[in-house]
Parts: sequence; C-alpha cells; structure tokens
Amino acid sequence: MKPPEVSITVTDLSLRFPVYGVDAKSLKKNLARVTVGGRLGSSNTGATEVTALSNISFNLRPGDRLGLVGHNGSGKTTLLRALSGAYEPDEGQIEVRGRIAALLDLSLGIDPSATGVDNIRLRGRIAGMSAKEIEGKMDEIAAFSGLGPFLAMPMKTYSAGMQARLAFAVATAVEADVLLMDEWISVGDAEFKKLAHRRLLNLVERAGILVLASHDTQLLRLYCNKVMRMEGGIASEVKDIRRIDELLAAA
Amino acid sequence: MESAQHMLRTGRRGTLFEFSMALRDLAMSWDRRGLAWSLAWHDVVSRYRGSILGPFWITISMGLMVLGIGLLYARLFGISVAEFMPYVAMGIVFFGLMSGTINEGCETFVQARNMLSQTALPMFAFVWRTVLRNLINLAHHAVIIVAVIVVFGLWREMVILPALAGLVLTVLNLSWISMLAAIASARFRDIPQFVMSVMQFAIFMTPVFWKPDAFPDRHAFLTLNPFYHMLTTIRAPLLGEQADGLSYIVLAIAAVLGWALTFSVFAVTRRRIVHYL
Repeated sequence: MKPPEVSITVTDLSLRFPVYGVDAKSLKKNLARVTVGGRLGSSNTGATEVTALSNISFNLRPGDRLGLVGHNGSGKTTLLRALSGAYEPDEGQIEVRGRIAALLDLSLGIDPSATGVDNIRLRGRIAGMSAKEIEGKMDEIAAFSGLGPFLAMPMKTYSAGMQARLAFAVATAVEADVLLMDEWISVGDAEFKKLAHRRLLNLVERAGILVLASHDTQLLRLYCNKVMRMEGGIASEVKDIRRIDELLAAA
Repeated sequence: MESAQHMLRTGRRGTLFEFSMALRDLAMSWDRRGLAWSLAWHDVVSRYRGSILGPFWITISMGLMVLGIGLLYARLFGISVAEFMPYVAMGIVFFGLMSGTINEGCETFVQARNMLSQTALPMFAFVWRTVLRNLINLAHHAVIIVAVIVVFGLWREMVILPALAGLVLTVLNLSWISMLAAIASARFRDIPQFVMSVMQFAIFMTPVFWKPDAFPDRHAFLTLNPFYHMLTTIRAPLLGEQADGLSYIVLAIAAVLGWALTFSVFAVTRRRIVHYL
C-alpha cells in the first residue's frame, strides 16, 4: 500500500514578508491614520514588505536529496518553512505529495517543566502522530534517547546534552516521505553523534525526498545528490552535487 | 489538500478561494481534534505542575469569594442567604468561563507562534485549545455549583436541559469572540489590554453579584449586554427559574452572525496571521 508518488513541485514561488513595525502594531496609530485621512505606510496594508523569495521553481522526485546553499538571509529557512506549509505563497504554487516532516527546530513544542515522557507525547502529537502511534513508538524513542529513568524527571533537570538527545529522539521518530532540515543536526557526545548520524541516515533513506539547508559543503557532498544556491531570495537551477564548486564560484 | 499525504499552497487570491481555504483549516482542526485536546490538557497540567491542589486552587479562591460575597451582599441587599448564595456562586463560576475564554483568546496565536511558523497545523486547533482549556477549568469549578445545589436543595426544582442549551449557546458565542480577539491581538498588541479592561468592566455591569430586580423586564441595560444573556440562560434554569426565551434567541442569532463575521475576518487575514506574530 505505497502512497502515490512522493514529489515536490514548486512553481514561480514568491513570498513577501510584511514587516509590521513597532509603530504599526499600535492601534492608536492606525486609528489616527484613518482620522487624519492620509496613509503613512508604504504599502496599502500599512506595512513595509520584504521580498524573501522570488520566482522560485523546481521539481523533486523520489530519491532526490537537495542541498540548499547560500549566505545568511538568502532565504533558505524561509523556503523550508514554505515547504512545510507554514507560509502561504504570495504568488506561485507549492505542491508536496507525501508526509512532511520538518526538523527545523528541535525545541519545538518542548516544555521544560514537563517530564521526558510527557514531552515525547506532546511533540509526537504536534508532529501529527496519534496517541496510539506515540505509545507504540514510546519504547523505541526511550531506548534511543538512552535516558532511562531520567525520562520520568522534568526536562529542566536535564543537562543541555540530555535535552538535545530527547528532542532529537522524538523529532526523528516520525515516519516521513519528505524530510526538511535546517542544518544537519549534530548533538550530544561523540558516541551519541554516531548513533544520531546512523538514525538520520536511516530516516533519509526511508524518506523519499530530503531538502537540507547547510553552509557545510563537505556535509552536502556527503548526503545530497543535488544542490541549489539561494541568493537574496533568488534560486539558481537545481544542479548535480558534483557541480557545487562551480555553483559557489559563480557568486 | 491537507490529508497528510498532499499539501498544496498557492498564491491564488479571490474571495471564494480564501473562504474555501479557511474552511479547510476548520475541517483539518476537526480531523486533528486530538491535538487541540492534548494541548489544552497539557496547558492545565503544566500550569499547576508541582502543586498538590492544581486547578482546584482557583476553585478554592472562587469558593471563598462566593462565600464572602454571598454572605455579605445577602445582608446588604436584605436577601436570604439561601436565595443569594447559589445565585452568586453560579454567577462567579460561569462568568469565570466567559472572561477566561475571551481574555486567554488574546494569547491564542501569539503563544503558538513557534508552531505556526514552522508547521502546517490548522489555526483553528489553537482556538479550540483555548476554549477546551477553559472548559476543563470549568469542570473543576463545577464542584462549587454541585455544592450549592446540594446544600441549598436546588436539585428539587432545577431543570438541566435549558441550562445545557444555554451553556452550548454560550460556548458557541465565546469561541467566536475568543477567535476574533486572537486575530486582533496578533495584529495589534493593544488589544489584550483593551479586552481585559472590557471584561473587568463587564463583570460589574452584568448581574453577577447583584440581582437585576431593580430593572423592569427586558430593560435595555440588560438586553444590550451579551453577557447577561449568556449568564441568565445557564443560571436561571439551575435556580429553578425560567430564563426569558428572548435570551436564547439573542444568543442563537449572535452565534450565527458572530461566526459569520469571525470566519470572514479569518478567511481574509489567514495567510497574514503568521506574519503578524
């Protein structure tokens, strides 16, 4: 019972962020504008707009592992968030077939005062698992985190490394066809890093498509087979990973 | 679109399209109702973690207020305690539901900022989270209601069904107000303060602590106050009195119009809300 073909299709995607200044957020200013009758804002909504992505198009098929490269603020994370469904395009279209898992922020939905087990449940729920699925995976997640009896303790009693272990264990327990990652996650001590690495590879293998944003070209070469360069919200063509140097040199 | 298998996001505009997307968000929140429930339950549990009595602390403080105001005002107004105490008890508990749902509504989207900006979770789920959280709290405070019903023997003449109908209508109205507050607060950070002032004002303008006997029936001072209708449709039947049929009608109409308004606002602002945060 394989679901229909996994794919990502992005056509002419443009995304603009309205920036609501501190002033614009005050109701008084808005009312004042109405009574005075003029428009102080630069756009019709009274907000300045920043174009984060413009005219991006690409296609990904099963087996594609796309690396996103680019400077800070070039739109990599925005693109990932748009692919996760959080942002609506202003123009163009995003179509994703398959279950999406976005590993953009390990601490998403983590409550430090709740116990490890409660956090596994909560995070699992946010990731779209049912209560039953979570209970089914509980043992596996607990075992992988290696936290044993600490799972019954509040997360705030954990060291930073332990917190990262748990967050990582839950975040990667999802079944996904499309995996979105912002930087390759590396957490914990050397031993855990090796475990984490194997688990991620496993996840990537099961997932049909990976989109990974990173500054580390070594890493991208290792895990991706395609690469796309972002600059100022404009994307290059999708190229074979072997041509990454060429792509970077073009800058 | 939002079966977990297929996601489509477009830059298409047009009123009809925006409404259909808003409707999808609503449908998705129903498919994932377990999520809203888990979040609401987690909120309650985590707020009182480590405390032995938990949400019952609020119940106790409410109970104390009921006891104090019940005894004092009964004396001041010259009403018998047996008549006044249950009246105040229900007033305070149900008004707590109203002010809680509306005040916390202001935080609905602002608090969920992280989740909204990196997942495709339906926005309605967070509205239900706020409403469910307040219903869970109400379930705790129901202890007070049960106590006055037993102590003052109200079970002999109370009628449950009209009170339940009143509660359903009230919650229907509270949810749209809460959602409207959520959208407005995301965009304008003055709204939470404003809403809080209004609710503080409303508790004194609504017959929570006092009886509206001084007013003739259907005086504008009462009929123009939506909280009066909410409160009276729940409270009167529980006290063995009959609530004015007009109040049910007002609530039903307000629910329909209010949801139409809120849903339209949501449809228009939906794609922007995440940027407001």
